[in-house]
Amino acid sequence: MRTKQEYLIRYKDGNLYCELADIWIDPSKPVKKALITHAHFDHFTFGCEEYISTRETAILLKERVGDNIKIKTFEYGEEFKINGINISFYPSGHILGSSQIRFIFAEEKWLISGDFKLQKDETCKQYEIVKTDYLISECTFGLPIFKWDESNKIANDISKWITNSPEKTSLLFCYSLGKAQRLLNEINNTNFKGKIYSHGSIHKMNNSYKELGIDIRDTIKIENKKKIDELKGNLILLPPSLSKGTYLKNFKNIQTAFASGWMSIRALRKRSGYDKGFAISDHADWDGILEVVKKSEAKNVFFHHGDSEAISKYLVEKESINVLFLGK
Amino acid sequence: MSLKKFSELFVDLDSSNSTNNKIEVLKNYFFSNDPIDNSWAIYLLTGKSNKRFISGRYLKNLFSQIYEYPVWLIDTCYLKVGDSAEVITLLLKNKSTSRKKELSNISLNELLSKTIPDLSKLNEEEKNLQIKNIWERLPEDYHLIFNKILTGTFRVGVSIGLITKSISKQINIDEEIISHRLMGNFKPSIDSYKFLINKNINLEELNSKPFPFLLANTIEDKIFKNSINDFQFEWKYDGIRLQLIKRSGNVSLWTRGQELVNESFPELVEKMSHIKDDFVLDGELLVWNFKEQIALDFSLLQKRINRKSPTRSIQIKYPIIFIAYDLLEINGRDIREIKLENRRIELEKYFSKWQNKTENNISDIFKICDLIFPNDWPDALTYKEKSRENNTEGLIIKKKTSIYSSGRKKGIWWKYKVDPMQLDAVLIYAKGGSGRRAGLYTDYSFALWKDEELIKFASAYSGLTNIEIKELDKWIRKNTLEKFGPVRSLKPEMVFEISFEKIQISKRHKSGIAVRFPRITKWRKDKKINDADSLENAYELMKKIS
Repeated sequence: MRTKQEYLIRYKDGNLYCELADIWIDPSKPVKKALITHAHFDHFTFGCEEYISTRETAILLKERVGDNIKIKTFEYGEEFKINGINISFYPSGHILGSSQIRFIFAEEKWLISGDFKLQKDETCKQYEIVKTDYLISECTFGLPIFKWDESNKIANDISKWITNSPEKTSLLFCYSLGKAQRLLNEINNTNFKGKIYSHGSIHKMNNSYKELGIDIRDTIKIENKKKIDELKGNLILLPPSLSKGTYLKNFKNIQTAFASGWMSIRALRKRSGYDKGFAISDHADWDGILEVVKKSEAKNVFFHHGDSEAISKYLVEKESINVLFLGK
Repeated sequence: MSLKKFSELFVDLDSSNSTNNKIEVLKNYFFSNDPIDNSWAIYLLTGKSNKRFISGRYLKNLFSQIYEYPVWLIDTCYLKVGDSAEVITLLLKNKSTSRKKELSNISLNELLSKTIPDLSKLNEEEKNLQIKNIWERLPEDYHLIFNKILTGTFRVGVSIGLITKSISKQINIDEEIISHRLMGNFKPSIDSYKFLINKNINLEELNSKPFPFLLANTIEDKIFKNSINDFQFEWKYDGIRLQLIKRSGNVSLWTRGQELVNESFPELVEKMSHIKDDFVLDGELLVWNFKEQIALDFSLLQKRINRKSPTRSIQIKYPIIFIAYDLLEINGRDIREIKLENRRIELEKYFSKWQNKTENNISDIFKICDLIFPNDWPDALTYKEKSRENNTEGLIIKKKTSIYSSGRKKGIWWKYKVDPMQLDAVLIYAKGGSGRRAGLYTDYSFALWKDEELIKFASAYSGLTNIEIKELDKWIRKNTLEKFGPVRSLKPEMVFEISFEKIQISKRHKSGIAVRFPRITKWRKDKKINDADSLENAYELMKKIS
C-alpha cells in the first residue's frame, strides 16, 4: 500500500494535484498551472498563471470571462508532456469541450473522469471509453435511485408541459452553459413549435455553440422582462439564479420548471419551489458510473464530488474493486 | 384506463403550486371518469384510505431480496428520498424483465377493491411473489401510486376543502352540502358517488350549513387607548374552534376548515340533540378536567380528533367539553347583527334554560365561557400572565358593540397571547428530515449546561427559514463529530433561542425536565456557547411559573 503522498495524483488543499508535474486539476484557488476539464464556473478560478484545456473549453471560457487569461489548448487525444508525464484530453460527454484527462507516467495510467455522462447529447462529443489503472471519478449522482430517462422523452415531456398550458408563459430554469443548449437541441425534435426566448446569459452561450458548429434551436433574447406575462404559450429559458429573489414576483401568468437530475426526487422537487421538475442531467447516473468503472478496467478507483461512501462500499462488496483514499 | 388517469392526476396535482390549477385539474378528472373510480379517487385524496397493507421496511427488504441489493444501500437511498414507497419506485426503474404490461389497463376500482386487499389473503411467500408480479406487470408510471397505497402513505397536496370545492364547482352545488355528504363513512361505490353529486338537496343538508367564522387579530397597542369597559374579556382556549349547529333536530359540528367532525365527538352530538331549541353556537372544543374545571393539554385532544367513532372507554379517558362563547342563531332567527353584549345576554339566558331541564343534564359536556372583568389595562395584563395557570393561551378581547361579521375583520376581536417561555440552548445533535425535508439535516437536539457538561433538554424541527435550514445543514456537515446512523453529533458551537409552552419535571429525561411544543425562535449567532442557559435556569423558570 502506498501512502497518499506516493500516488501520482492526490488531493491537496481541497484540489486534485499532480506533484511530479506541479499541475492542478480544476483548482479552486490561483495556482501556477491549471488543467481545466470544462468551462463551468465551479471548475474555474481566476488568477492562475497558465490554463490548459481543450480548444472548445478555451473558447467558451474566454467568452464567459474575457480574453485576459492565458490558455494553452490541445485537441482531444493529442498528447503533451509535462516533466516527463504524458497528458491527454478525451471527450467526457458533459458539455461542449468537456474532457477526461489521462496521465501516463512510468507505464502507470491515471484517468480523471471530469464531469461526465454517457447519455446521448448532440451538442457535444460522446463520452469515450479510456482504459486506465487508476480512475478518479465524479459521483454526483452516485446512488441507484438515479436512473435517467432518454433525453428525447424529457424533451417531449417539456413540450407537453408547455402546450398543455397555452394560457401561460412557461419558464424553464436550467444551467446557461450546456444544459440550455442540450435542451434547445432536443426540443427541436418535439411537437412544440412556439417561440423560445432566452435570458442574456443563455443567449450568449447559444451563440458560442452555434459558432462552434452545434445545431440548436434559435432563441430570442429577452430584452424586456416586463413582457414575460404576455408571452403565453411560449417558452423562456432562464438561469436558476433568477428563480430566487424578486425576478419572478411580478408575473402572474406563468408556470415554472427546473431541469436538473435532482428533480427525480419528489422531496427535492417540492422543496425547490418550482411547479414542475424535469429530471435531466449532464452527469452520469448510477449505472453510468458503474459502466465507466467497469469498461475503464481500472483496478483502483477514487470517487469525489458527491456521496462517495455508498458507491465505494458497493464496489468493494460487489465487485472487489480497490477503493482509494486520496485525501480531501 | 383509469389507474393511468389517476396517476396522471397525481402527477398534475403534485406539480402545481396553484390552488386554481389544482381545482381545474380535479374538476376535469371528476368529469371524465366513471362514478366508481371517482369515488375511489375521492376516498384516496381525502385520506380516508390510510390502511397499511405492508410496512415500508417490509417493502425495502422484499426489494433487497428480489433484486439482490444490500439493505444498507437502500437505507442510504432512503436518507436522500425520505419515503420508502418512493425509494422502491425509483429503484424499480428499468428492473422489470417482462415486456408485456398486462396491468396497464387496470382500473382504480380493481386495484383498490381486489388486487391490493387480496394480498392479505396470501401467505408471506405468495404475497412476496404477487407483489413482484404486480411490479413487473404494472407500467412504471403507476409504481409510485401502487407502492404508496400498499404502505398506506398515499398523500398529495390537496385538502379536503379543495376536493370539496372542485366537486362543488363541477356540479354546481354549494360546498357545505358536499362537505356534509362527504362526512362520515364514505364508502367508495357507484351509489356513494351518485349521492354526492345529486342535485336534489334535502332539508337536512340545507340545515347543516355553518356561518363564516369571525376571527381574532393579534393585539395592537392602540387598543389600550380605549376604555376597558368597551370590551368583553375571555380566556383564549387552546382547543378546536367549532360551530355547533342544531337545526330541525339535527346537530352538526363544523371546524373552521369546513370539516364536519360529528363522528369524532358522538357524545356531544347526542347530548345536544336533546335540547328543545334550535341554535347555532360558536365556541371551542376541549378535553376537560371536570374536577378542577380546567382545560387539559391539546395533545390529548389530538387523540380524539383523528379517531372516528371513539369507543366508550376513549370517551371516558379523554372527556370533552364544548365551551360556547357566542350565540349566532336561535330558533331560526339569525342574530349575528345584534351587538355582542346583547348576544351574550341571550346566550346566558338560553344556557340557564337548557341547564335547568333536569332530564337532560348537559353540564358534563357543555358550558358557556366565563367572562373576566379586569379593572383596567394593567389588570388585564395580570390576567394574561396568569393564563398559564388555567392552561389557556392568553386572552380574547371583544368589542361589546361589535356584530358578528366574517373573516379577520380589524378592530372587533383581539387575541392577547401570553409570551412563550424561552431558553438559549446549544445545538448538539442533528438528524436527517423525512418527506419534504429529506436529504437535509432538519431535526435538531438542544442542550443546556449542567456544570461543565451539556445535557440534552429538547428536540425541535420548526422555526428556521428555508435559507437558515440550508445554511445550518452546510454547517452541520462540516462540523460533525460522530455519526450514529442518521444522527450526527456536532461540535457545540451554535446557540439557539428555544421557545416552549410548558415546562415540567420528567423522570424520563436525563435533564429531568420536559418542555411542550419546543421550537426555534431565533438563531443566536451573537451568542457563544458559554452564554447559553443552564439547567438551573430551567428549574428557576419552572418554579416561577408554578
